[in-house]
Amino acid sequence: MTPRYNFAFLDEDTKRMLRRALLKAVAIPGYQVPFGSREMPLPYGWGTGGIQVTAALLGPDDVLKVIDQGADDTTNAVNIRRFFSRVAGVATTEHTADATLIQTRHRIPETSLREDQILIFQVPEPEPLRTLEPREAETRTLHALADYGLMHVTLYEDIAQYGHIATSYDYPVLVDGRFLTSPSPIPKFDNPKLDRSPALMLFGAGREKRLYAIPPYTRVESLAFDDHPFEIQRWEHQCELCGSGDSYLDEVVVDDRGTRMFVCSDTDYCSGRRVEAQA
Amino acid sequence: MLTAFADPVFDSQRTFRELLQAMARPAVPRRLPVVPPSPAAVAPEAMAILLTLCDAATSIWLQRPDAEAVDHLRFHTGLRLADQPQQADFALIDDPASMPALACFAHGDPRYPDRSASLIVQVNGFRTDGGAHFAGPGIRDAERLSVEGLPSDFWQQRAALSTQFPLGLDLYFVAAQQVVAMPRTTRLLEA
Repeated sequence: MTPRYNFAFLDEDTKRMLRRALLKAVAIPGYQVPFGSREMPLPYGWGTGGIQVTAALLGPDDVLKVIDQGADDTTNAVNIRRFFSRVAGVATTEHTADATLIQTRHRIPETSLREDQILIFQVPEPEPLRTLEPREAETRTLHALADYGLMHVTLYEDIAQYGHIATSYDYPVLVDGRFLTSPSPIPKFDNPKLDRSPALMLFGAGREKRLYAIPPYTRVESLAFDDHPFEIQRWEHQCELCGSGDSYLDEVVVDDRGTRMFVCSDTDYCSGRRVEAQA
Repeated sequence: MLTAFADPVFDSQRTFRELLQAMARPAVPRRLPVVPPSPAAVAPEAMAILLTLCDAATSIWLQRPDAEAVDHLRFHTGLRLADQPQQADFALIDDPASMPALACFAHGDPRYPDRSASLIVQVNGFRTDGGAHFAGPGIRDAERLSVEGLPSDFWQQRAALSTQFPLGLDLYFVAAQQVVAMPRTTRLLEA
């Protein structure tokens, strides 16, 4: 642990500001609370929102797991894990079941989460309506009035053009029947895991200076139409490493002749299954 | 002058984690890990919440602005005192029987419903083996809770506010080293 910093890098005033905002975020599920995002020792876009939320939560007894697209061993995940072991001295793990806090970029672990775990999402764009309406004052008004027609029209246009809803990640959800919310760019495969999750889920967007929350056991619906119900991705393949037929698969090019293989995106889930199979 | 948290960084971190879980799982009493020394007018549980969340950026309305309590809070947190309940980020209610109407506190702006008051209410105690059923986000099926010492029309007042959602108030009830949070989304189910 590096002793030159306050515990978990942020000063206590900043943590209190984040903590007040997080409590309001949990009290108003899916609503985006503005907060004073600080300059962090890595650029916006590298998970500064998630890092600030994690720093506000972290205590010496926590065990932290960080994943990037499901993997524990990619650059972003390794850096953030090392950052917190340096500035907070906390224990880290790659095992979903051992973690108390899990910071994630763009995936929800395959292993079911528990009530005593908290999932923290890194969010690039917290406003689901932003690509449809660039003005913040206007999107705030649309949320105040629960006027989400724009999003339904967008999904309808997909159906008119492609015959199905083509949005495959960052698929908009309605939290507790009220706030239209971005699930962060998780694949829509993970959307069903948001619904009535036993674990608290917190979302931090550093550049956009917003955070929001989905409390446990909260209704989270992916938008859809009666005649075009919500569907998740399916594969004809199984994971070539562990044989899983029900996890989210990455397609990996393995040589220069275009040979491909499909493997689990969640590295901990995949290696856990391989260890089990050998035993 | 009394001291505050013995270990400001970790005592407030542990208290915050309990508050966060309390807010995420409403109507369930949770034990506060640290209760700091506190002047007679403020319950130690309420002081733990105030030391964890308040600083120079927040204002508080005290139902009973006792001089010793005001000095203590100003010295340890630097918070501002609000003259009117409407102006306060936090309100401390030490005698719920004579508390002002819930409608007197800030409920937020339709575009910014987070700009609303958080009430810390010192009550006589909690019972989970009886009382009303509560449901809403954070509650799997329903939770039973009875909060002792609230005015008789408290729940009617709160139900009247719920029609304004997402505007509203968030409550922290404290008693006997425990806290129960009740966000605006928690509904009291009619028996």
